[in-house]
Parts: sequence; C-alpha cells; structure tokens
Amino acid sequence: MERPIFQPAGTPTEELDTPALVVDVGTMEQNIAVLHNAFQGSASRPAAGQIRVRPHVSCHGCPEIARMQLAAAGNSGGVAVSSLGEAEAFAAADDDISDGDGSSAQSGPIDDILIAGRVVTAAKIRRLVALAGEISLTVAVDNSSNINDLSEAAHAAGATLGVLIDMDAGYGFGGVTPGDDAVSLARTIAGAPGLTFNGIMTYEGPLPMTDRAELEAETRRRLQPILDTRTALEQAGIEVATVSVGSTYSYDVVSQLPGVTEVQAGVYPLMDVETLRIRPEFQPAAKILATIVSHPVAHRAVLDAGHKTTGPDFGVPVLEAFPGAVATRFSAEHGILDLEGPATDQLMPNDKVHLVPFNLALCVNQYDYIRAVRDGKLIGYWPIAGRGRLG
Amino acid sequence: MQVAYEPQPGTPIQELDTPCLILDMAALDHNMDVIADFYEGRHSKLRGHSKNHKSPALALRQIQRGGTVGGVCAAKVAEAEVMVQGGVASVFVTSEVVAPPKINRLCSLANQAEILVACETESNARDLSRAATAQGVNLGVVIEQETGLLRCGVQEVEPGMALAQLINSLPGLSLKGVMSHQMMAEVSSDREDRATEAHRLIQPVLDLREAMIDAGLPVEIVSTGETWSYDIAGDMPEVTEIQGGSYLVMETSYDYMEDFHLAGKILTSIISVPRPGIAIGDAGARAVCGIKGLPRVEGRPGVEAVDMDADRTVFQVADGAELAVGDQVLLLPGQQDAMVSRWDRFIGIRDGVVEAVWDIEARGCHN
Repeated sequence: MERPIFQPAGTPTEELDTPALVVDVGTMEQNIAVLHNAFQGSASRPAAGQIRVRPHVSCHGCPEIARMQLAAAGNSGGVAVSSLGEAEAFAAADDDISDGDGSSAQSGPIDDILIAGRVVTAAKIRRLVALAGEISLTVAVDNSSNINDLSEAAHAAGATLGVLIDMDAGYGFGGVTPGDDAVSLARTIAGAPGLTFNGIMTYEGPLPMTDRAELEAETRRRLQPILDTRTALEQAGIEVATVSVGSTYSYDVVSQLPGVTEVQAGVYPLMDVETLRIRPEFQPAAKILATIVSHPVAHRAVLDAGHKTTGPDFGVPVLEAFPGAVATRFSAEHGILDLEGPATDQLMPNDKVHLVPFNLALCVNQYDYIRAVRDGKLIGYWPIAGRGRLG
Repeated sequence: MQVAYEPQPGTPIQELDTPCLILDMAALDHNMDVIADFYEGRHSKLRGHSKNHKSPALALRQIQRGGTVGGVCAAKVAEAEVMVQGGVASVFVTSEVVAPPKINRLCSLANQAEILVACETESNARDLSRAATAQGVNLGVVIEQETGLLRCGVQEVEPGMALAQLINSLPGLSLKGVMSHQMMAEVSSDREDRATEAHRLIQPVLDLREAMIDAGLPVEIVSTGETWSYDIAGDMPEVTEIQGGSYLVMETSYDYMEDFHLAGKILTSIISVPRPGIAIGDAGARAVCGIKGLPRVEGRPGVEAVDMDADRTVFQVADGAELAVGDQVLLLPGQQDAMVSRWDRFIGIRDGVVEAVWDIEARGCHN
C-alpha cells in the first residue's frame, strides 16, 4: 500500500511529497465536457443524441472520477471495466466521498457495470452471479461453453445476467469473428435461462492515426462488420439493444455512426501521451509529480520517479515543457533528464517537475491515491479502488 | 478497503484464482541457499535489496538462512519504514534522500534501527546533519560514487574526498564508507567476462576508498556489486557488502546468471480461444510488467506469448500443443522488480500446493 505523507487540503501542488500522481480537477472537468458534449443531441448532429458514453473506468480505477463522468451529459448511466475484481471494487465504493472544496462530488452508487473482459472460471462465475444479485451487471462472452456455465450459475442463483457478445474487429485479443458465429451465439444466449442477450460490443483497438481522415476511415472500416452483424441479428429476429464500441481515439467518429448505441471511452478525463498525439482537443490532467534528487553533472538530472511510479511498459513519460530538458531514461526507481542550454544550471535537488504518463492505465496501476488539485492546491486524496483488482 | 486475493495454504495451484503472482518455493530456497553458501566464511556479505521483494518476511528469511550482513537495502524511505516495522535491524537506503519531510522520517527510523543512507552532495550532507541533530539521532552516511550507470553519485575521487571530510565533521552523522551501482554494458554468462567488467566498473569506488583510508577517514563499508557480480565483487578484498536483489525472485533477462532459478511467476488462465492456434490469457502488462518485453511461457512447448496489452496476453499455439479455455499457464517475467511492485501478495507454491502467502507490505511505498 502506498504510504503517502498526507498533507492538508490547500497545500500547493509544488509542496506535495513525491513521487505523486496528481490530477488537475479543472482540466479533467474540461476534458469530460469535451467528450460528453459530442454525445448531446443537436440539430447539426441528430444521430449523436441516440448514442451514449459508457465510461471505461479501468483506465483510472477511481470511483470519484467515475461519478463525475456519470454526472456529465450524454452518459449511459453505467460504466465499463476490464475485470470482475474491478466491478466489485466500483460497486462497493463508498458514495460519500467529497472533493473537499464543497463543490459537487456526485453521490449515489455505481450500479450499472459492464465487464468488458471475460469471466470463465467456476470460482469467478460464483462471484459474478453474487454481484449480479446486487447491481445491474453485464458481461462480455465469446464462446458457447462460457455461456452455458454463466447460464447454469445465474439460473441456480435466481439472478439475471446481461450478456454482450464480444467481437474481434481487428485488434486480435479475443472475441468472435463478426457475422454468422455471432448470430449463432446470440441464439444460444437467448435460449439460456438466467441470461439476457443485450447486444454486441468490440474494442477496435488503438487507432494511432494523426491524420483525421485516415482515423475516420479506419474506424469505419473496423466497425462496419460489427454494424453488419447487428443487421444480421435483427434480420434473424433477434433484438439488439446495445452496440457498445469505440474509445477516446474514435469517439467523435463513433458518435456519428448509425447503429451504435454507446461508446466505451476511458482515457479522456485524464489523458496520456499516447492518446494526446491523436486527440489534441483534450489536455493532460494526470501528471506524475517528481523531485530532482541529483544533478551530478551539468547535462544530467535524476528524478525520484522510475518504472515503479510511471509504468513505462509501452513508452516513457514526457517531461512537461521545460526548455532544454528531456526525460530520456528510466530505471526501477529513477528517471533521467538530459539537459542542455539554460537547463544545465537549473533543475537542482529538491526542485520539482511534472511528467505526463505515456499510458494512463499502466501509470495509475502504480498508485493507491490520486492527489486531486484545483487551481494549484490540494483538495483531497482520492482512493484508486480498482487498483490491483485484476482477477 | 483493498481486497487482495489470499488463498488458504493447502490450496492446489489448479484452484487458484488468476491472475496471481506465485513464488516457486523450491527456486526461492535454492536462490537463498546459493547466497548463504557463497558468503559463508567470506569477508564480504550480502545486504539483500528489499526493493525487489518489498516484503519483511522474505528479508528475514534470507537473513536467517545466512550469508548476509543482518540487514537490508531499501530504495525509498517508505520502504525502509516497512522493513524496520517488520523487524529488520539495519536498513541502508541506497538512494539519495533530499526532501525535508523524507529526511525527517528517515531520522525518526534511526531511533528504531541502524539507518544508513547514500549521499553525494555537501548540501544534502548538511541537511541530513541538521535533521539528525534536531531529532537527537545518528545517521550512517555512505558516499555514492558513480560507476558507469550515468545516474547519481560523485564523479571523481577529489569531490568524494571533500564530501567525506565534511560528513566526518558534521554532528549527527557517522561517515560509514562508500557505495556504487553498476550494470554490464553487454551481458555475458561467462565468469571471466563478468569478472573483467566488474573489476573495470567497480575500480573508481575502490579508488575513493583508498584515498579516504590514506587520509585517515573511516571506511567501514564498501557496498557495491549486484546479482550479476555477486561472486566477483564478493571476492574483492576491499568490498564488504553486496547489494544483490534480483537473485531472489529472478527474471528472464538474468538468464545468463545460471546460478539462480526463476522463482517469481504469473499464473494466468486462458479466457478465450478465438480460433485454432491462438489463445488469450487473463494477464497483461498490468500483471506481468512489459518493461523488458513479453513474458516467457513455462513448461508448455509450442506455446508462445506474441502480444500483450494492459490486461491480456495473446498466445500462439503450435500444431500439437493444446490450450483450452480455463487452462492455466505460467508466465516468466522479463523484469521482476517492477512486476512485484504491482502486486499485494506472493503466493508461495511447493509441489503444486500453496505453502505460504506473504503480504508485499511495501508495495506502492514510493515516497
């Protein structure tokens, strides 16, 4: 467990002990507004009014942020998570956390959860069914033996479990091939006691295209087979209530696609380097505050943040604008800044810097608390209740 | 409240919930024995690095088994706190501690255990002295010499000597000696290659030691060497302590150190077989750590990890090999240190059954 030096509300960000995962709440609120506003119906965007945001909250693991997303315009009323453990954590999260400055922390339980990952083992299915007795719970499936196991358990417990068929739109991490296989699985689900067939979903994968037209074309190319499967299901007489697709990469393309009902965006409230490259309309709200612990030679400074506090598995974090300084190397406990020009006689021990994480989920996974700040001052420590709940 | 998975001792591995972090007890015991046997009767000893396992239970297990100085290294003040609270009598914080609140916490610990800390600047030495004096405690200070990592430490003998003189004169501090870190530029399992590289890299810290001794300064501790050089640095007559940590849990990028066995593994379950030849597991980078690439699959010929995202791994399954939904697969990590720091518990397995469950108490102790 993280053992922070807890500091009082009002402490300036620069005085927080490090390394620390700091979230600027004002920036986060703007990011939430940018994305959610794309899903409010308007005269110029008539289709979008039918599509809702289902925040994928594994990216931040923080119930407090989930509640803000669920209070924003155009939301579906529920969230998506990756694992059963995360679903349990969000369902159990206290609903009385306040952000400490008297402004609106949303209250109310998180009681509509989609588990976008798979739940296949007997022990997990028992837990799943127990949770389905408490909240509205939907789980993704991609094979018939899993459907049978879920049905047996739900039926025996007298619970109802919503089911979405997960499809592979080219990402390659599981899911059925769009088309006939999905129709056949949907029939199996429709006939399975204890289960309700709700529809279909996919994560089409990261879409790292900086060219807007390319991004749109690729999103449509990947999602068309999913939309065709919806049509095939309906032609087979199967009602499709939910078509849940998309991400922060593709949200405003997806918002214009007839046939989609919800977008599973997750990175947008806090953002990361990976997604900012493609989506500059958002601002980085989550940063790692780090302290310079050493400046042993003119062209090098050393930070107290390394692998264990930045999660650089897929890419290294980026130092926030400091002329002449670049974060170049990370080891388990330290980060290295290469310095040139005026930076060589700045950035001395005890100075602090901000790093923007490369991949949000992997960075957040290293912490138990978000230090929430507004206007440069601490407003509270928000528990990352989903952290480590991988199973 | 964090609900971390805690299976009962006696549970067969087949019944474990996944993903989970397991420790192969036979491999763990073997690795501890290698250390105990090597350092028995030698002038040098291991000061095991607790940043790798973050668990006082494992620190004490190695200390009891032997070959150590009777204490540990820690990378962070919060880690040192967990070790002291867990009953470790001597902790050496091998990173520079510069933030005033952290220095205060470090000094508080010095009432409860022997505390040593790395230092590389005169201003830091003065800060340490001021805080130690104010709290009425004594901190042991070890000068860090840069030896090839291009990270922290004094660069030359001369500034190192000036720092040594200062530390020796400051109240609240005891000058204890010198330390350094180093990694091989190109890894090699050949002992001669390792010896050549270790001697080349470690020499500057020995030069500083010699200058300090010539000047009549105390050098009780010369702390250097790592898992890759435990048997080389440990044989250098000037070296008193080795800072090995990776040897305990191990990782595939240390394959060249054949003396040690892979003990830390991630147990994953197959959750999907979307088409013949491909299977998907329920552990991704958040569980396994992808800093040094994809994990290796243990004991399943023909099965290979070919892709990984935050929560899943894609396995390629060759003709003749089989993987079905619900099957378990053991993954061997490329990097154990940053993997362990993502987990709340080690599940110790011997002969396919849970023998012990240890809290990774210093998980998340970054401050």
